Amino acid sequence: MKDENHAFFHPSSLILLPLREGTMEWFLILFGWISAALFVIVSAYKIYRVATAPLNVRWEVYPVPHEEGERRHYGGSYMEEVDWAKKSRAGSLVAEFVEMGQEIFLLQRVRKYNVYGIWLLSLAMHWGLYLGAGLLGLLVIENALPALAPLTNVVGVVAFALGTLGAFGLIAKRATDRNLNLYTAPIDYFNLLWLAAIFVLGLASFATAGSFAAHRAYIGSVLTFQPAPIAPLVALTFFAFELFVVYMPFSKLIHYFAKYFTYHSQLWDDAFKVKGSPTDKKVAEQLAYTAAWSAPHIVPGKSWLEQAQNPNVEK
Amino acid sequence: MSEPKIIRFKDIARAGDEPLVTLTRDDLIEIPQLGDAPDVQSPQARWLERYDFSLDGFSDFDLPKPKTKEEEERLVNGFLRGLEKLFDPQSNWPFVKIFRLSLDYCVRCQTCSEACHTYIGSGRQEIYRPTYRSEVLRRIYQKYFTPSGKLLGSFVGADVEVNAKTVWRLLELSYRCNVCRRCAQVCPVGVDNALLAREIRKLFSQEMGIAPGELLKKGTRQHLKAGSSTGMTPAAFKDLVEFIEDDIFAKTGKKIKMPIDQKGADVLLIHNAGEFMAWPENPAAFAILFDAAGISWTLSSEAQGYDGVNYGAWFDDVELARVALRQISIAKELGVKKIVVGECGHAHKALCVLADRVLPGDLSLDQIPRESCLPLLWEIVKSGAVKFDPNKNDFPVTLHDSCNVVRLMGIVSPQREIVKAICKQPVREMTPNGVWNYCCGGGSGFAIMNSLNFDQWRKNVSERMKIKQVLDVFNDVLDPSINKYVIAACSNCKGAMRDGIDHYGLWDKFHITYGGLVDLMVNAMADLPQPYIEFGKQG
Repeated sequence: MKDENHAFFHPSSLILLPLREGTMEWFLILFGWISAALFVIVSAYKIYRVATAPLNVRWEVYPVPHEEGERRHYGGSYMEEVDWAKKSRAGSLVAEFVEMGQEIFLLQRVRKYNVYGIWLLSLAMHWGLYLGAGLLGLLVIENALPALAPLTNVVGVVAFALGTLGAFGLIAKRATDRNLNLYTAPIDYFNLLWLAAIFVLGLASFATAGSFAAHRAYIGSVLTFQPAPIAPLVALTFFAFELFVVYMPFSKLIHYFAKYFTYHSQLWDDAFKVKGSPTDKKVAEQLAYTAAWSAPHIVPGKSWLEQAQNPNVEK
Repeated sequence: MSEPKIIRFKDIARAGDEPLVTLTRDDLIEIPQLGDAPDVQSPQARWLERYDFSLDGFSDFDLPKPKTKEEEERLVNGFLRGLEKLFDPQSNWPFVKIFRLSLDYCVRCQTCSEACHTYIGSGRQEIYRPTYRSEVLRRIYQKYFTPSGKLLGSFVGADVEVNAKTVWRLLELSYRCNVCRRCAQVCPVGVDNALLAREIRKLFSQEMGIAPGELLKKGTRQHLKAGSSTGMTPAAFKDLVEFIEDDIFAKTGKKIKMPIDQKGADVLLIHNAGEFMAWPENPAAFAILFDAAGISWTLSSEAQGYDGVNYGAWFDDVELARVALRQISIAKELGVKKIVVGECGHAHKALCVLADRVLPGDLSLDQIPRESCLPLLWEIVKSGAVKFDPNKNDFPVTLHDSCNVVRLMGIVSPQREIVKAICKQPVREMTPNGVWNYCCGGGSGFAIMNSLNFDQWRKNVSERMKIKQVLDVFNDVLDPSINKYVIAACSNCKGAMRDGIDHYGLWDKFHITYGGLVDLMVNAMADLPQPYIEFGKQG
């Protein structure tokens, strides 16, 4: 006979009210795993779709950070030399990482070029997210290393405080600055509000208990599949967060992965084509695609290569 | 300057012929040195009935407005069909990946706004903001093609109705961007709003055959049919070369035979054919320098081989591939070691960068290298094969960076080294300069688009920032007794400089003129008896 007070998870328990004891704990354990899995699967699918999209033409913009020496600073390229196609090139991957690092951790371009005063707010929100991810990691480790608790407290509080400030600040900025307001759809406010709610709940759940012990206990229960009592505010914090994790890959909030491709496949992709190379083979494959456009100067039903070879002009 | 009007995205679908914005001189950014700049002229009254000026009161499209419901529907359906094809991995393989990324992941932070010379020059009119047209396109796409847009409508921003007015205004709006890509350079996510403008142009051209007459009918079509976008035939080209040879003799006393169709030469030099007609002193200067340096070179008299332009780079991938394939095949047939592109920015980018991945392996860059003329010219200076006397160039000089050569190819240093070596006064760098330069305002074909009143927009809006930069850089030597020279090593940029200098009266008021880099080099050649540059006679 099943113990009614220590119920196994059953889907019906999600909708039955009032909840049987232990149901919510089980639900949160499973939802923790499901949200993580959905995040990984959907993100991986989206990344896969972009990564396997056709190879685009070269469309770089300088400066390109992997260029050699001074060139990377003033925006020069290998094409500044004569006979460059015959010369070997030594690029710097480190410089690419430095550039990306400045973008990720300092939001460099926003700092330098945005004139609408969003840099500090955006930086606060992004660091709220980065430290929030760090907090999650610390909560995992803390289950094995309880001595990390003081660090966890600092990281968590700073993460939630920065995140709250950044998210609410951006909402206020977008609502009041005419340059931003027009471009902000309701869903953008919705996204920021959701993030703000997670940060506020995080702060509130910490403030109630004065530590992240309950959060650590929840993470421990997720990792071990051992239900443990969970305070309603902590449960709500994690539920809001996990739901957001599921939603994120479906939204433009995952622009961080898009950024990898826009930079590497577009802005910094300066590699020229060599006959017989993998790029050349890929291009040859794509030249066989049909250019199914309908304008009078396009030859119906022909491939890209055939179009190029047939100017379609009357003699 | 008055406060710009707020124009919402839905406004683009507004019925009627009233423009979304009407510009006057007071709306535009001030150029202090000019005092009263010329006012913006309204379109001629006789055009209003027949043509559509409902975006901003300007147009290059001398196509009649749709008259019937059926014509409107045809326009709308063609647009939606074309938009769908932009997402198709086969029909739009050259750009689909980066097009989608730019459309899907803009975070609307507006960091790009202040990078745009057109937006700033216009007095920050909303419709010229780099994100405005992109956002209109995004909202249309969401409304008509995505489940979230269909389900959630304006909550996700899917709120722009597509009707004939929307389509027409979006077409016009795609030709209010020079595709200089300064916005992409500063975007924290790497979104490319200039690319989105080009994709809209492409949709219209490749799906409906709609493009400015100067770019398609009299541009790529004429290029492929007659041999040059100028209409110049091979016979006319040969005549012009003879004329230039005579001119070289008259100006320099040098008897130079410009080699044509020399098989096995090291270099096929390919100019923008517009140079032969508008600025023949430029191909002449190349001939003088190459002859003096002992370079093995040739021109081609084959159709397309004597015109390095490729207007497809601005609006049409199919036309881009056709022109490039023909130009590079000619070089292969001639058996030259490489193509060197003369002073034409978009020809640089089309031949050296863009065409790289739209042609088969035999025409790859390692098989037929394509290079800029600038490194070769710097080699000539470095080698000492030609003697230059910087004292001959003793006047203030500034350097305009062509976006295609500099920002989009990273060729920044050679031209600066050359100027350092051949001019007495240090080059005056504009602010900003190099890869951060502002476009001349004539980029992506605007310099040659002169139908209806498009030139009014170009002169007053897109060229405005460059004119301001030029006046700022010469601010301490504006006295008209001092001749000043703007180097523009690009035909399109030269066209825009000629236009701007004329419109704002920069020669009459300040003795500011423009010209190519090679012209300046020849002007400094020690063995020439008289100056090569004739101030006040350019273009």
